[in-house]
Amino acid sequence: MNNKKNKLFYIITLITIAFSATSCFDDLNVTPINPQASQTFDQDAVFAKTYAAFALSGQEGPAGNNDIDITDEGRFSLTRCLWNCSELPTDEAICAWGDNEVVELNANSWPSTNLAGEGLYARLYFIVTISNHFLGETAGMTDAKTVKQRAEVRYLRALSYYYLMDFFGDVPFSEKISAEFPIQIKRADLFTFIEKELTECEADMYEPRQADKPYYRLDKAANWLLKSRLYLNAEIYTGTARWNDAITYSNKVMTSTYKLSPSYKHLFMADNAGTIDGSTVNKASQEIIFPIAADGVKTTSWGGAIFLIASTHTNGMAGWGSTQGWGGNRARASLVKKFFPSGTVPSSDNLAIAAADDRAMFHSTDRTVDITKVTDFTKGLSVAKYSNVRADGAASNDTQFPDMDIPFMRAAEAYLTFAEANLRSTTGSATLALKAVNDLRDRAHAPQLSSITKDQVLDEWAREFYFEGRRRTDLIRFGYFGGSSYNWDWKGGTAAGSTFPVKYNLMPIPPGDLNANPNLKQNPNY
Amino acid sequence: MKYTNFKLKLRACLAVLVLFVFAAAVNAQQTTISGIVRDASNGDPILGANILEKGTSNGTITNIDGQFTIKASANSTLVVRYIGFSTVEIPIAGQKNIVVQLKEDAVALGEVVAIGYGVVKKNDATGSVTAIKPDKLNKGLTTSAQDMIVGKVAGVSVITSGGAPGSGATIRIRGGSSLNASNDPLIVIDGLAMDNDGIKGVANFLSTINPNDIETFTVLKDASATAIYGSRASNGVIIINTKKGLKGSKPKISYDGNMSIGSIRKTVDVLNGDEFRDYAKLLYADQPAALAALGTANTDWQKQIYQTSISRDHNLSVTGGYKNVPYRASAGYTNQNGVVKSSNFERFTGAISLSPSLFDDHLKINLNAKGMMVKNIYADGGVVGAATAMDPTQPVTSTDAAYAPFEGYWQWTQTTGGQIVPNPQATRNPLATLMQKSEIAHSRDFIGSADIDYKVHFLPDLHLHLNLGYNNSYGKQDLNTRASAATDYPHGRTGWDKQSKTNSSLNYYMQYGKELGIHRFDVMAGYEWQHFYREGSSEYIGLDGYNPVPSEFKTESYLVSLFGRLNYTLADKYLFTATIRNDQSSRFAADNRSAIFPAFAFAWKINEEGFMKDNNLFSDLKLRIGYGITGQQNLTGDKIPYPEYAYIPIYTTNKNGAFYPFGTTYYNTSRPDAYNAKLKWEQTTTWNAGLDFGFFKSRITGSVDYYYRNTVDLINVVTAPASTNFRNKVASNIGTLRNNGIEFTINAKAITKKDFSWEIGYNVTYNNNNITKLTSGSTEGYYVPLGGLFQGFAQAHAVGFPSSSYYVYEQIYDANHKPIEGLYADRNGDHIVNEKDKYFFHNPNADVTMGLTSKLIYKNFDFGVSLRSSIGNYVYNAVDAGGLNVGAGGVYSSLGFYSNKLKSAFDTNFSGGSNTYLSDYYVQNASFIKVDNITLGYSFKSNCKIGSGGRIYATVQNPFIITKYKGLDPEISGGIDNNIYPRPIVTMVGLSYNF
Repeated sequence: MNNKKNKLFYIITLITIAFSATSCFDDLNVTPINPQASQTFDQDAVFAKTYAAFALSGQEGPAGNNDIDITDEGRFSLTRCLWNCSELPTDEAICAWGDNEVVELNANSWPSTNLAGEGLYARLYFIVTISNHFLGETAGMTDAKTVKQRAEVRYLRALSYYYLMDFFGDVPFSEKISAEFPIQIKRADLFTFIEKELTECEADMYEPRQADKPYYRLDKAANWLLKSRLYLNAEIYTGTARWNDAITYSNKVMTSTYKLSPSYKHLFMADNAGTIDGSTVNKASQEIIFPIAADGVKTTSWGGAIFLIASTHTNGMAGWGSTQGWGGNRARASLVKKFFPSGTVPSSDNLAIAAADDRAMFHSTDRTVDITKVTDFTKGLSVAKYSNVRADGAASNDTQFPDMDIPFMRAAEAYLTFAEANLRSTTGSATLALKAVNDLRDRAHAPQLSSITKDQVLDEWAREFYFEGRRRTDLIRFGYFGGSSYNWDWKGGTAAGSTFPVKYNLMPIPPGDLNANPNLKQNPNY
Repeated sequence: MKYTNFKLKLRACLAVLVLFVFAAAVNAQQTTISGIVRDASNGDPILGANILEKGTSNGTITNIDGQFTIKASANSTLVVRYIGFSTVEIPIAGQKNIVVQLKEDAVALGEVVAIGYGVVKKNDATGSVTAIKPDKLNKGLTTSAQDMIVGKVAGVSVITSGGAPGSGATIRIRGGSSLNASNDPLIVIDGLAMDNDGIKGVANFLSTINPNDIETFTVLKDASATAIYGSRASNGVIIINTKKGLKGSKPKISYDGNMSIGSIRKTVDVLNGDEFRDYAKLLYADQPAALAALGTANTDWQKQIYQTSISRDHNLSVTGGYKNVPYRASAGYTNQNGVVKSSNFERFTGAISLSPSLFDDHLKINLNAKGMMVKNIYADGGVVGAATAMDPTQPVTSTDAAYAPFEGYWQWTQTTGGQIVPNPQATRNPLATLMQKSEIAHSRDFIGSADIDYKVHFLPDLHLHLNLGYNNSYGKQDLNTRASAATDYPHGRTGWDKQSKTNSSLNYYMQYGKELGIHRFDVMAGYEWQHFYREGSSEYIGLDGYNPVPSEFKTESYLVSLFGRLNYTLADKYLFTATIRNDQSSRFAADNRSAIFPAFAFAWKINEEGFMKDNNLFSDLKLRIGYGITGQQNLTGDKIPYPEYAYIPIYTTNKNGAFYPFGTTYYNTSRPDAYNAKLKWEQTTTWNAGLDFGFFKSRITGSVDYYYRNTVDLINVVTAPASTNFRNKVASNIGTLRNNGIEFTINAKAITKKDFSWEIGYNVTYNNNNITKLTSGSTEGYYVPLGGLFQGFAQAHAVGFPSSSYYVYEQIYDANHKPIEGLYADRNGDHIVNEKDKYFFHNPNADVTMGLTSKLIYKNFDFGVSLRSSIGNYVYNAVDAGGLNVGAGGVYSSLGFYSNKLKSAFDTNFSGGSNTYLSDYYVQNASFIKVDNITLGYSFKSNCKIGSGGRIYATVQNPFIITKYKGLDPEISGGIDNNIYPRPIVTMVGLSYNF
């Protein structure tokens, strides 16, 4: 027995020692083993992400790994937030849905927060932050590839700050990632920063439509077009008008290698990347300066191009190339009246001929022009502008998710910027302004105008760019938004239209950030 | 140390141990002794008592008449044991006939309770510890282990996630101590601390243990008891010990089985076809398109999806002791059909336990192996809601050619590009969904543990204890959706999602106990190492190859700890306990990794004092006071991309569908993810004061406890200042939460007559939870929204209110007490009703919960009832709110389909304004009294050769609920009632039989 005892004690001691010896506190120093996770900076992939952040909502398509923390990934994508905040509070669009952010935007009345505003803010700062990270990681690198990538990332960051400045006014500002609380920069100072950034990065960007430039990457025309937009609205942002600068930069775009697409409707179709999409029919890519890519299989989300297509379509409309039709966004009567001043329209699935304007892509069958009920999609004309149908008639890549790239910036903008700035500048030319507007009308097969006023340019902005996510800025520039008597149906939440306070010219800084960053002050009257 | 390495070592250890187990024993000169074993209280013979010749493995068991015969050496001693009775030793001393009287052991169970890394005499416990033994007589349908403690323990709330077979449950001990981190208690099975995550096919791992194998549950509630588990113990600890064999006993074979019928209690009251047609004709008299869309049928969609389900459960176990190796082996088979058509849960379980003791009990070994295989057929969760919303005027199937692509199932359709496709916005035919979509999970689980306790030969006061544990789970869920299914028309969808996890643990500790006069010391020190590894992958693709989506993840974490405990008893009256644990977790950066969790407790056995000696009233009276700090490290995943690596900067590569093109080349993208290098432990400080009491020779026993818990550095996913991190929200240590409450438990043996006994148990808990700090900032009115609805959020965390409080508008009512749509009180008096007028209105957590059990035994009959009550819990009735719109815009959609309505929607007659959902009208009092089960049983003795007797019983489970709540079932975890899978009424008959 004694022998056994000793043996046992020996074994137990051995086991104890064996485990003590291997007891590794070192185990605690883990490195991620997830195959989707990496700890190394992949320059090309992070670069691609700064672009992708405009198109997608996360790292899994169409949803599943959201870039930001918000309730519904697709509902609060960048495109959808930007579009809702830009279109719904204006004379162009209204939405039938009951989503709080939509209802509030429809009626120009939101509390100290609006979810679409919060989503827009979070998405834009996401782009700012990853851009700052990219620029930090590549700082000092001088190889040709990196220099070009850095220029484009600086541009994308400037563009994000532009929207933050436009929507939110004085916003937190940082050029690097740091745990310090960012300062709240004055709107005018941010304007100066954006202007400086665009000037500095311009030289390193591709020439417009440079032969070796991969489609979807940005070139100098995007830089000039953003500058022209910056200057056109400079008075709003800084108090000082810059009409002549707007003329200069819009003219640079107009005289660049970008030119108007021969067909207006091709701009909004599945093969609008032209030869990239294998289409020889669709020439829209010669006009699209900033295409936000979409592909029915490889680049998908619930909040990008699919939102523009599906939210405007439903059962009974001419084929739009996607099984998704959500029946929400449609034209306010005031938009229809930009094409049909009388407000009476024939019943048709395309009013282009009736309007004598290719741009009047309305569906009026089983619809009324007047919106008697906001929540009824059939009250108000449907907008059949966006589709996943190809101009060449071939099948698109998917029956659900669209191939249509969002024509986020296109050369036509330069024409109207040029026209408006010429009318506004004391040294501008009304003749040149009229010609620029008529160039667009010519492309749309609309009758030529013989003279033009500023208000007519504003109407032309609506006809050319309705439902493209810019109306709010245009109305504010004209003083026709908060506090103005310029009227439209359901303005301010009443059917006949009513004035709403000027404070709504800015969106509120999201309360979460106000709470997190003691340097921030809320916009007036929120 | 990598876990493969660890596995090898584990195997080596086991091999060595097994060798020792089969050490031989010897016999001497024999004589035959016969005798009878009786219950001392009433003289009844005891069936199945174990008779063992002391020091040998020679033994037998009593027959139906309590009789036994054994051959043993004439001068030996017989040891007589029976569960629930005190063990008796009888020296044979030449006797040939022996009558043994066994006394029922009042504290047989309570005698020793499991505490972390050791056991303690119940009388000497200083913390708030509740041990319960599952009730064998009135247990109802217990598919999962958690079913056995529902309503049985003060301060423990168990809410099943619904009535689906094999569904999981939310267990909360003394309310939750966290907001974003896990609130699940730590569960320790046979010494192995488990992680709480389920895998595919198994909602939580408690359903992997056959409830019939469980011997005891021990619930550690206060920090003085739980702090020894340190960082994983903030939400309490449940220690489960499984049944073991008995040394030297003859094999005893038992069967336990039942058949049950489940049916649904009631269905949601919706309009029938005729009522719906009439209403639609009224609403849309001027809309021909709407009228044309009406059907002619009268379909009760709920009837279509529900069924009466038949289930069965069989368990067989063998218990005994081969020489000095007590063993128990069991096998179980469960086949449960759900009340929603097609759902089924089928499980095989097997367990083996060997508990040899060697060298005069110096070496005690417990080896446990538990295995399980499950096949779970899921019914699509959406059909419950779809059946209430589907238009009752439409037929289930149609011969119209338009529906041929959907296998003849009627669906709402639309025409896109000349093709008829299912309308993506419309409710889908729920029966078609059930029939055309199949989701089947196969999973298996293995838990192995070896527990070795060595009482050192030359120093018997010193115990060396080693515990090795290994848990491996694997689950794979296959999806097959036919191309004809509306959800995935026209591609169909097929694929799988599989997950596996491997957790390994090792702990050893040394315990030294010494008595010196009136002083008694017990010192323990130990070390623990745990590794959690988890991986998964999935791949889904259309039947035609459309949109393949593969996915893969792997993650792991480690926890390394040192711990110690000192127990000191003075004069057997004053008990002091101090514990300390140092935890180091790989979930935090090196600087914040290590945390110390101390605890102290004091107990005073008042009835041992001289002045109490003469009292006849109190048989037990003990005061306990405890203090301790526990931690929390478990972030929950849905808000944090990599919960195990939340402090490490990580880039995430894109998956399918999220590439970005330049030219015609599609590029991978890489996203830097948010991280918080400063993340650290959440810490909960608990104070507990309690009194244990027993009256009238323990005929009445009970305890009362007061506790106060304060959690600081709450891990909370909060807004990061814009541009300071890669995501708008990041996990941070922000916030403070307080819980306090009172628990009271009483058990009484009301009647203890020979043929008639009655036992009653009652427990009641009051808990109050309040958030005391939430952010670094101090913005007035700051809150964290949660409880997302169709629109907006119904709940919020805010300072000064219980967590997850409802945050809604105050409804205004008309003279007839009907709510006026969209009209809310201007609570802040600024003459505008906007979001600033929302207010905090109740919360989903009960203020008071109670449990009551009663057990009557009359001769061979037993009758048991257990019921439960919850008071002050509110539920947001999202079933009502979701279908509130009975206006022209809510019944027929301009997108071309109808939605059926609940009859209750006509009480409000709302027509769908934007904020209607956020009315406090839908926050409803869900207090309830629920009868969990009622059982009538009859025990019998058998005269046939195989078997000695058994019991037949009939149980009805979940027979009725008393509640004011307007929805189907008031018991909703989380507080938003969204068409849960209905909990059925189950009627069952069962048989227990001993061979």
